[in-house]
Amino acid sequence: MTGQKTTACRIEIESTIPDRRLEKRALAARDGLNVPLDAIEEVKVYKTTGGKAEDLAAVFADPVLQQAHFNNKEYKFIHGAPAFVVDVAFRAGVTDNPGHAAAEALALSGIEARVASGSLYFLFGGLDKAGAEKVARELLANDLIQKAEVYPAHDFYARDRFKNISLPEVVRTADAKPETISLDLTDAELESLSRERCLALSVDELKHVRSAFKTELTDVELEIIAQSWSEHCRHKIFSAEIDYNGEKIDSLYKTTVKRVTQDVQKARGLDWLISVFSDNAGIVRFDEHIDLCIKVETHNSPSALDPYGGALTGILGVNRDILGAGLGARPVANTDVFCFAPPDMPLPAEEQFMPQGVKAPRRVLEGVHKGVEDGGNKSGIPTVNGAFFFDRDYAGKPLVFVGTVGAMPHTLPDGRKAAEKQARAGDRVFMVGGAIGADGIHGATFSSMEIDENAPATAVQIGDPLTQKRMTDFLLEARDLGLYSAITDNGAGGLSSSVGEMAQMTNGAQIDLALCPVKYPGLKPWELMVSESQERMTVAVPPEHAKAFLERATRHGVVATDIGAFTDSGNLDVLYNKESVASLPLGFLHDSLPQMKLKARWNGAKPRVNWSAQTQLQDRTRKAESLDTALLQLLQSPNITSKEKWVRAYDHEVQAATHVKPFADGGAIWLKPHGGAEDNGISIACGLAPRLSLHDPYLMAQCAVDEAVRNIVAAGGDPDMCCLLDNFCWPDPVQSAKNPDGAYRLGQLVRACQGLYDVCLAYGMPLVSGKDSMKNDFKGKDRGGRDIAFGVLPTLLVTAMARVKMGTVPANAFRAAGDVIYLLGGAGQGLGGSEYAHIYNVAADAPSIDMEQNIALYRKMHEALPLFSSLHDVSEGGMLVALAESMIGGNCGAKLSGTFDAETAFNEAPGRFVVSVPAAKREAFEKIFGAKAVGTVTDDAALSFNGVPLPLETLVSAWKKGF
Amino acid sequence: MTQPSFLILCGDGINCERETAAALRRAGAHAEILHINDLAAAPEKLARFDGMAIPGGFSFGDELGSGQILALKIRHKLGKNFFDFVAAQKPIIGICNGFQVLVKLGLLPYPATQQRVMALAPNLQGGFIDRWVTLEPGANSVCKWTQGVDAFDLPIRHGEGRVVFGDDAVYDELKDNGQIALTYSEDVNGSHQRIAGLCDPSGLIFGLMPHPEAFVYQATNLTPQRDFMAAGAGAQIFRNIVTHLTETNKEKVYAGRQH
Repeated sequence: MTGQKTTACRIEIESTIPDRRLEKRALAARDGLNVPLDAIEEVKVYKTTGGKAEDLAAVFADPVLQQAHFNNKEYKFIHGAPAFVVDVAFRAGVTDNPGHAAAEALALSGIEARVASGSLYFLFGGLDKAGAEKVARELLANDLIQKAEVYPAHDFYARDRFKNISLPEVVRTADAKPETISLDLTDAELESLSRERCLALSVDELKHVRSAFKTELTDVELEIIAQSWSEHCRHKIFSAEIDYNGEKIDSLYKTTVKRVTQDVQKARGLDWLISVFSDNAGIVRFDEHIDLCIKVETHNSPSALDPYGGALTGILGVNRDILGAGLGARPVANTDVFCFAPPDMPLPAEEQFMPQGVKAPRRVLEGVHKGVEDGGNKSGIPTVNGAFFFDRDYAGKPLVFVGTVGAMPHTLPDGRKAAEKQARAGDRVFMVGGAIGADGIHGATFSSMEIDENAPATAVQIGDPLTQKRMTDFLLEARDLGLYSAITDNGAGGLSSSVGEMAQMTNGAQIDLALCPVKYPGLKPWELMVSESQERMTVAVPPEHAKAFLERATRHGVVATDIGAFTDSGNLDVLYNKESVASLPLGFLHDSLPQMKLKARWNGAKPRVNWSAQTQLQDRTRKAESLDTALLQLLQSPNITSKEKWVRAYDHEVQAATHVKPFADGGAIWLKPHGGAEDNGISIACGLAPRLSLHDPYLMAQCAVDEAVRNIVAAGGDPDMCCLLDNFCWPDPVQSAKNPDGAYRLGQLVRACQGLYDVCLAYGMPLVSGKDSMKNDFKGKDRGGRDIAFGVLPTLLVTAMARVKMGTVPANAFRAAGDVIYLLGGAGQGLGGSEYAHIYNVAADAPSIDMEQNIALYRKMHEALPLFSSLHDVSEGGMLVALAESMIGGNCGAKLSGTFDAETAFNEAPGRFVVSVPAAKREAFEKIFGAKAVGTVTDDAALSFNGVPLPLETLVSAWKKGF
Repeated sequence: MTQPSFLILCGDGINCERETAAALRRAGAHAEILHINDLAAAPEKLARFDGMAIPGGFSFGDELGSGQILALKIRHKLGKNFFDFVAAQKPIIGICNGFQVLVKLGLLPYPATQQRVMALAPNLQGGFIDRWVTLEPGANSVCKWTQGVDAFDLPIRHGEGRVVFGDDAVYDELKDNGQIALTYSEDVNGSHQRIAGLCDPSGLIFGLMPHPEAFVYQATNLTPQRDFMAAGAGAQIFRNIVTHLTETNKEKVYAGRQH
């Protein structure tokens, strides 16, 4: 594409009314960056390759809110004269959603033009150039995807920015001929080949390619192999043969995760597992009309580089997993869980000890949150459940878990089962959705490459919710019309993974990469094959439906391209302009990879490894205080305090089916609006206990499951119709000279898997889907230039989904004065791993878990739901915090009998609930549960325990502090 | 018994079409979800319908201001057929993003002149918000959709819902005309005089930021209810317009009957 520079035009859109959103950023600069910034004003900028001023103004500006400018303009703001101006624009090749939408808008008005969007930020206050650059870098732009130019205001106005307009453009001149690569190399040469091409293949794996395939191969072949054998796609660690303290484990996946599902299914005779561990998502039958599928993904590395784009592509990606499960399901609910460093890090004195190149925790939090907000809201999918967990060990690698639940009818209009897909040889291969660019080639590994003006930013992708929404609408219609036979999403590895995996259904596929729509010319065949450009699905379309499929796609404004056919040749054949560039036997590609052999050691708990000399990070721990003060401290801790303002930014009610909103222990969805039975619903909840990993990952896994299940029970879910998902995020567990803790970390993983197996078996709950992410480490320098290396806390997120009978879900908070309060599941003991122990630096034993007692209690509670006035599980902060939350949510007081010490008040032992029961049902309740009352709900707006009343408003103001 | 027929627009990022159709069906209407591109290919289909709903969502990702590009598309792709529909005084409801579209089209508050005198600006509290709020009917409101309602609760879910007038005199005029259909009982987004919904002078074209289609059954109440199939407060909005159409046009045979 040429520039058409002669007609290019710049438009600036000035807001004529105040925009409060910018005030938050100014505050963030003052408090978080320590820059004296008083205010920010924004002027939006569009550059177009054509169009007349008056026509453009009508499209770009609202006559009541805005004014469009086409000539040099010195803006007047209420804050006086700005100190600096920051001009922010996308780098070439980066997804520019406002620009694309604007081009569509111009086309509607008869103007064919490209559009690039950007912003001018005017900074007011006493800041200097360095401060302005810091604000630009940390708050206004991300250097990986945007260019930010900082000008003193008078310099900015001195030049005519409306002259010599150019739009960012990708200029690439690549040879379409594939390169031939020889593997006839020494071990050292193989290692450097892998490193230089970002293949992430070991020397042994490359030698296996040499012996099992061939010595001379094309770059396309090598890249396909690297993608297909990546840890991300193949889960080599979970499939490895492990020497665990001398005992041989043949694949943790087979012997724990998969086995427990088989064992539970057999033991309980489950008939509701429709598809587990084989498709893009687990599929279960909790309803007589529809099936449900569920998947949870992580998007950690991309979110570390670009928190907004990483989280946005994460949520849109897991939505596509649902759209690609079976013959396609409609996404009906999202979940999100974030593990970050505390939002108050770094304090000014800590700044130089933070990991270099990683965004500040607050920026990660804000960016990821906004990404999940836009991803869910703009796709029309309610966010119904989630969690935030803060610990400083996530400062090097934030964890971002995103999940989606989908609904599909048992049977499609043409009689096919929606949960089953089967492509046939001869079916066409259609690529549907966005065009291919260099986005996400080799994912995050290229992030350190030099970025110049015309080089596409390949390290990160930005999602495009509009393109995906159109594609989703189209594909669900095509599904119901019976126009395709199989479908999968294009995620990690792009076409190489999606076509490569689907080819196994027919035993072959042949595609021509030159047919793929591209964002710009100059992409090499191997780049087209492995690009992770977003919003794409691969669909098998029987030839007789190809015409109708294309017609419906076009009508929906969706790009669908026939790029080849499924075959039974036994090979994945890739052409470029009809010439072969890769031919790989599927057996070699998918089933020949030798099992990895790893060492794992577990010899008990080790103290936490401090990634920065602990004395140099501010000590936030407190000396022992009274129970009252400790309760207030806990209520305002980031792990416990109200997340309301963050949660309210997510649309949690679109699709009009949200039965329990996301402020309770678990969310719940009504299934009738999705085609399910009138009285049927599902609850969705999560659990995690990363700090218990420091005691024993075995217990950590059990407690993560228990928390998810407690939340399900509190949200009315049936523990006998409950499925679980496991998402492991671990620090690198492969022992090497560079990773001396590898064997211990793998030992921790073995312990966690064993704990997971035992608790799933005891609770009778199958795992239906899972994922693992194994390289969650930071290795580099801190901002002061010192070497640091540390991993995240070994983290297992457990997501649970269970059937709910509509009309039976109890309240999550106290409801009426006079109700009797009980603590179900006992007093518990062991402060280890608790928020209290963390804040007050208490060394203590971890709690214990009685699995048989817990599941028996949950079943009994579920049967007795009508007895409860309210139901809330005891988790972070322990019993007294659960009680305070029950008061705050219900705007009630509570009077407790008996006395407490810190351990009984704040231990986080699993299997417990704070419940309230109407006085009239007291006898029936005590007969079933054999529990003794611990107090009563009152209307005097205070919590009375150990004799002293603590006003409700004091509790509320501590809890509402937020972050 | 006659059954009015409603067109529910979808596509391009609209995302509340299914629940809006379900709400109208529960109120006794026939409701057909139609993609805007299918409608643009045969815009004469519009005349078959007795009413129209532009549902909530994020049309065109809210780029260039929410509702702006969908309004351009309606103007350029549905064109005369759409404005004939308006001129025929058939009821139109725009919910959330649909309200923004009606404003950007100039159909609210004055469809006769299509003069742009108001806008829905970014919320003053600074971002998207999902919360439940109590709504009160405007005094002397002529809105056909809200006739006879008392104060009721609905969720709001928007980032750009603050009503702003180019000239404050417009507000007085709208108030005198009975065009203020709904107000919030508290300030949730900085909206002028806490306006939540407006209608045209005929009371047939109705735009509102809250989501009545999200609370048609008690199942989706803010707090879980035992009687989940009972009507939620949003149901009355749709029932009102169906009643209005069936009662004022008793003799008319509705298009919907033929379906």
